[in-house]
Amino acid sequence: MVKKINDKQFDEVVNSEVAVVDFSATWCGPCRMLAPVIDEVSEEMSDVNFFNIDVDECQALAIKYGVSSIPAVMVFKKGEKVAQNVGFVPKDAIKQFVEANK
Amino acid sequence: MERYDAAILGTGPAGVSAAITLKIRNKNLLLIGNKDLSMKMEKAHEIQNYPGLPAIPGAELAAKMREHLDSMGIEITEDKVSTVYAMGDYFALQGATEMYEASTVILATGVVLAKPYPGEAEYLGKGVSYCATCDAPLYRGKTAAVIGFSPKEEAEADFLAELAEKVYYLPQYTDEVHVSDRVETVREKPLEILGDDKAVALKTSEREIPVDGVFILRESVAPSQLMPGLETEEGHVKVNRRMETNLAGCFACGDIVGLPYQYIKSAGEGNIAAISAAMYLDQKKREAAKKQDA
Ligand SMILES: Cc1cc2nc3c(=O)[nH]c(=O)nc-3n(C[C@H](O)[C@H](O)[C@H](O)COP(=O)(O)OP(=O)(O)OC[C@H]3O[C@@H](n4cnc5c(N)ncnc54)[C@H](O)[C@@H]3O)c2cc1C
Repeated sequence: MVKKINDKQFDEVVNSEVAVVDFSATWCGPCRMLAPVIDEVSEEMSDVNFFNIDVDECQALAIKYGVSSIPAVMVFKKGEKVAQNVGFVPKDAIKQFVEANK
Repeated sequence: MERYDAAILGTGPAGVSAAITLKIRNKNLLLIGNKDLSMKMEKAHEIQNYPGLPAIPGAELAAKMREHLDSMGIEITEDKVSTVYAMGDYFALQGATEMYEASTVILATGVVLAKPYPGEAEYLGKGVSYCATCDAPLYRGKTAAVIGFSPKEEAEADFLAELAEKVYYLPQYTDEVHVSDRVETVREKPLEILGDDKAVALKTSEREIPVDGVFILRESVAPSQLMPGLETEEGHVKVNRRMETNLAGCFACGDIVGLPYQYIKSAGEGNIAAISAAMYLDQKKREAAKKQDA
């Protein structure tokens, strides 16, 4: 499952051993295509917490983490950003990306 | 939404040949491209190496191919696909306004000769973008440069200027430019995108322009950009003898897969790609039937 969170709930990312955050927006086509793919991946990786953040609702977070193109998928370890992938990616590739960085 | 068995992108000899073979295999297909088929056929003065059609002008070969499609009831959907998404079980194709879905996809879009700028790949997603309408809202109150390769990109620059603090427009064509007052037109040649962990400036033939982002809007997109996750090699789509790409259910043929750039080679590869796609579809069907039996 991918949990939609806002600025105030970012603690949940910080408190996760490994977290994957999908920065997206409702007006972004590739984001809409990526969402169901990430959802599928989240079902297959129980050791990672998956989150979604709307960059319009959470501009401060988007700026803090340098989001300049979306969708941007970031891997966090104990709240530390360790990797980022920008744009749509097929399921196997996103899975490999998370595996390689978790 | 209708889910086609196969979506074919491109109406050059590769795409046309793939469509013909898939039709014979009784597949439900979507052929996307141009009613005039391909500029590369229209422009050829005389073709001397297409078996059975000696010394045929390119436009005539195109007309014959058109006739062939018509005779089989194959329609052409005039559209330009900006992105193909590999969704897992199927493919989603983003057209100019419409979205299409297909179980397999055959890429036959020909070659594009565009060298990326130094720094372009490095800062992609870190300030470099190919779609102003997609990423514009992220540039609220910021400065951006738009490199446009055709006058239709002027609208993108205008749109961006509604949100951004400052927009520079660098037309890479000689036609007169019509943009709003909010956009500054700069007749300079872009050389490089400079940055640290993100893009910070655009270096041109004259100077360095400090920017937060650079939008590069070309006529045609490179294969890796057309389809995220697609494996390429020196600008060409990587395929095997069966014209299979690294993504299951996606095939490619014609100039897009590599040299030599020839009509008959493209048509031949289109035939292979279609047969491989048909086999893939049949295999999927068998698997689904087996699952149901079990
Ligand atoms: C002047 C000239 C003379 C030539 N002479 C010869 C010759 O004598 N003999 C020979 O064998 N070869 C010749 N060639 C080479 C030949 O033209 C190419 O090898 C051949 O056209 C390649 O076919 P293709 O189907 O791969 O792609 P193309 O013919 O390039 O067709 C690509 C098609 O895809 C469409 N398309 C592209 N992007 C998209 C998109 N995103 N969405 C939807 N549609 C898209 C295009 O509009 C086009 O219809 C010549 C080429 C030129 C330019």
